[in-house]
Amino acid sequence: MLLKEVGYCRPATVAAATRVLDADENARPLAGGQSLINVMKLHVAAPSVLVDLNGIPDLRAIALNDDGAVRIGAMTIYDDLERSETLRRTHPIISQVAAHLADRQVRNRGTIGGNVCYSDPTSNFPPLMLTLQATMIVVGPDHEREIPAADFFRGAYEPNLRRGEILTAIRVPATKPGTGFGYQSLRVTREGWALVHAAAAVEMSDGVVAGARITLGCVSGTPVRARAMESALVGRVPGEEVVWEAARQAGEGINPPSDAHASAAYRRQMAGVMARRAVMEAIAGARS
Amino acid sequence: MAAAEEIAQALPITLKVNGEDVLATVEARTLLVHFIRDQLGLTGTHIGCDTGNCGACSIIWNGRLIKSCMMLAVQAHGAEILTVEGLAPHDNELHPIQQAFKAHHAVQCGYCTPGFLLAAKSLLDENPNPSVEEIRFALKGNLCRCTGYEFIVRAIESVGKQHTHASDITTAAQAPPGPSILDDLREAAEWEEGAPIRSHPGESER
Repeated sequence: MLLKEVGYCRPATVAAATRVLDADENARPLAGGQSLINVMKLHVAAPSVLVDLNGIPDLRAIALNDDGAVRIGAMTIYDDLERSETLRRTHPIISQVAAHLADRQVRNRGTIGGNVCYSDPTSNFPPLMLTLQATMIVVGPDHEREIPAADFFRGAYEPNLRRGEILTAIRVPATKPGTGFGYQSLRVTREGWALVHAAAAVEMSDGVVAGARITLGCVSGTPVRARAMESALVGRVPGEEVVWEAARQAGEGINPPSDAHASAAYRRQMAGVMARRAVMEAIAGARS
Repeated sequence: MAAAEEIAQALPITLKVNGEDVLATVEARTLLVHFIRDQLGLTGTHIGCDTGNCGACSIIWNGRLIKSCMMLAVQAHGAEILTVEGLAPHDNELHPIQQAFKAHHAVQCGYCTPGFLLAAKSLLDENPNPSVEEIRFALKGNLCRCTGYEFIVRAIESVGKQHTHASDITTAAQAPPGPSILDDLREAAEWEEGAPIRSHPGESER
């Protein structure tokens, strides 16, 4: 028996789930379980009660709003993100990232909501959510809050959630015409442990960069915007030389960690390489 | 099952395992893999790592391949699950995928094999004739420390080909005879020599 004793319930509504979570500060929501069950095995986490969100049907839908935004239910599994006709049409970058997460088994259980709420600094969706300017829709026992992705990640494993609250959906705004996206990661193996992520959105207007949002992952406890690189791109005709030059500033202001796989200096340099590639991919997307 | 909001340390669950109805009481903390092995006695589902990395505990849960060490047994309430014991149609007859693993020598110590068989089944159910690249990609969640994967990939590829060429693949007798191990080894050596060397994604450009 690997897990410590734990209570379990499977509420059928969001309201019921928030009530149970509010009543016990050591209760935790169970989404796909692909991280939580593992940290429970290691006794790193020992919740008193697991509130299984898999019994709430409304949390697993992908809906297209009239304004072109998509609302992704927090319990949508990676495999559904990959296959969603809606996302493939409106925000294909989400499907592309989902298709390469972990492995087939994990993609059949892991959820986008669990991913962002776990707030692992090496996760793929947090930097992508910042670049997409997504909004987190959070419900508590008697309130609802909308939190911009930029304010949702407060530190490693520290989402902006209060007692009793659960993330119910993520709203991703419509893509502005002329905008392309790119996502690049440096990994230990092909779909393995990530060392650096870079998510880029580039808006083009008359051949010139009108706006850029570049977010780096794995270089800090939270995803960080590469603002100096963004500024270096805006107003420029983005030839390869210009992007190379701008990417030199991607590592500015970041203080990445060193570990067995990559030193801080290597991570910083690779942040520039991944950011440049993501931006080139985004520019190609914006032009097509 | 208890009322949805009621917190329980142990719950009765009903599910279908390899086509048979099962009723059991499980502790909330019991992992699905432990339930399958210890309570149902189906020890074909293996525990290789306990950390969700190796895929030896893979089963098919409501049509989806999952790792049974990363799910609670209580979450299997109402589900249909398939373990390796449910793969062969009869006691004295192998499933075509098992037959192909045998023919292609895709098994060495055998510890990872149940997970690979179910991963292969899940892939072939969805994509009956996968390319080698698709097979390799689909097997990412399963580790094998013996074979180097080459014969596993080839075994799965051969089932896909049977599917294309034969209308009925349910009996092993209809499967074309597998190549000899020597042929496999020769091909593997050629493949290694001719294989493109994939550049490391992290190589520095300047």
